[in-house]
Amino acid sequence: MIFEKFLNKWILFFLFLIPVLGFIFEEPYYITLTTKVVILGIAGIGLNLALGYCGLISFGHAAFFGLGGYVTGILSFHALNSELIFSWPFIASGSSNMLVIWPIAILSSAFLALVIGLLSLRTTGVYFIMITLAFAQMLYFFAISWPNYGGEDGLSIYMRNSLPIVNTMDPFTFYVICLFWLLLVIFISVKLINSSFGMAFQAIKQNEERVKSVGIETFKVKLLVFVISGTITGLAGSLYTDLNRFISPSVLNWQMSGEIMVFVILGGIARLYGPIVGAAFFIVLEQTLGSYTENWQFWLGLILILEILYVRSGILSLFEKKLKYEK
Amino acid sequence: MKNKILNIKNLSKSYGAFKVTDEITIDLYFDEIHALIGPNGAGKSTLIKQIVGSVKHDIGSIILDQEDITDLTDVERAKIGISRTFQVSSIIPQFSAIDNIVLSLLDKSSKTFQLFKSVRNNKELYSNAKKILKEIELLEKSDISASDLSHGDRRKLEVGLALAMDPKVFLFDEPMAGLDENGTNMMINLFKKIKSNSPILLIEHDMDAVFALADRVSVINYGKIVATGTVDEIRRNELVRDVYLGYEI
Repeated sequence: MIFEKFLNKWILFFLFLIPVLGFIFEEPYYITLTTKVVILGIAGIGLNLALGYCGLISFGHAAFFGLGGYVTGILSFHALNSELIFSWPFIASGSSNMLVIWPIAILSSAFLALVIGLLSLRTTGVYFIMITLAFAQMLYFFAISWPNYGGEDGLSIYMRNSLPIVNTMDPFTFYVICLFWLLLVIFISVKLINSSFGMAFQAIKQNEERVKSVGIETFKVKLLVFVISGTITGLAGSLYTDLNRFISPSVLNWQMSGEIMVFVILGGIARLYGPIVGAAFFIVLEQTLGSYTENWQFWLGLILILEILYVRSGILSLFEKKLKYEK
Repeated sequence: MKNKILNIKNLSKSYGAFKVTDEITIDLYFDEIHALIGPNGAGKSTLIKQIVGSVKHDIGSIILDQEDITDLTDVERAKIGISRTFQVSSIIPQFSAIDNIVLSLLDKSSKTFQLFKSVRNNKELYSNAKKILKEIELLEKSDISASDLSHGDRRKLEVGLALAMDPKVFLFDEPMAGLDENGTNMMINLFKKIKSNSPILLIEHDMDAVFALADRVSVINYGKIVATGTVDEIRRNELVRDVYLGYEI
């Protein structure tokens, strides 16, 4: 535990150092790359709460990521063309203000997670995996078949959404905004994990029957964890749309759910900073191997196999062991 | 005449043609330990599962403290006062002994959905948990991970989890299995002490413990209650000797 806290500080240090160096040496590419790590790390932390800490193997978190992204894209799209989103039962217009967009994206993802959770948490194991996957795929095909927002081609946002006073188009500023959200998400997750509620959901992962037998309503606990998890992932989706100034149905696809799961597994399941390390590792592989071959994911698969066979606790555990020996 | 706290009427459960419990009627009075004995596979543990609600019965009714709980879920039954131990130790393996007990205290203290306060800073919860650990003689092992506890200590911890709920009735499924003599004596003394607050329906194969503890004994065989009576009555019952005891005690 002490080693993990020590490692976490180093992770945050590098997460800050790289964009600062990018800023000093005027290399926005590295700032944008780190911003992507931060955003995907947030998505992974969201999934990790459900998967790593509560044992809910959701294969449909792309639904929340995509919904957060589409809400941001649609609001921004309507703000730019000044058309109403709908006029009944009330008038809803677009917005390019992040302070308006974030709450709507967060609440939409929470509501979707509530609906999916209410239905899917009645099942367990493989059935739970399949039902969450099915929900995400439904949204994916819905997005493809919705021509108003670009259908399969996706939706471009020409200007990044704005915040009062600050220039969000500046890569470093946008990175700082994302880092703020990451730190807030980490803070909330730490609080949750150490609370009585956290004790309950971590116990459910280990022995749900025992938790029920002491009078704890495990369905309600799991539902709340699932909603919090989906909400955090939805927030990441919203930031991701602003990062790329583009949203397409691909973020709703099962492959996206798989990638978020890979971040969690690579970094270490039920390790708070694991998904950040996993996302960083994933992006570094994508950028390095991807420049040599289109099929770089072959190597990712190989690494995943080796990790699952030999280092189940994730990349972080490798550093942990090394530190222990050095001491 | 004493009042009944738990009243089970005609409880039946079948898996296809096989009747696991067959019109079982059994009750538990205040201030009583009622032992349920019988050969392996007789239906004792399935009966416990039906009472706690984890296995749904086909017909019959369950009354707890004059309230019909037949249609309640397992969690609802636990909340209103049925506390159990499992035949095979069922604990939270990666939690310490004290955290296991604290988990069991959460619902009673309405702390389950406290989202942001650190549970470990809750002195009241941990102080109550320590009292329970002292009662089950595990205080010195409070910080040991439950998975690292010996088999006997895990059995004690399970009883501790049940105690923490401060229930209306205890359903103990072989709590003394695998305990050494000291452990068994500790349990016997503990059960004698707690039965006045919460009566106990006890499944146990250790006949010395049963005869030392039970106010009444029921014998179950092939899913049916074949005899109920005091310890002396059961000892003298020839049918019971045939189906279970098999020897003169």
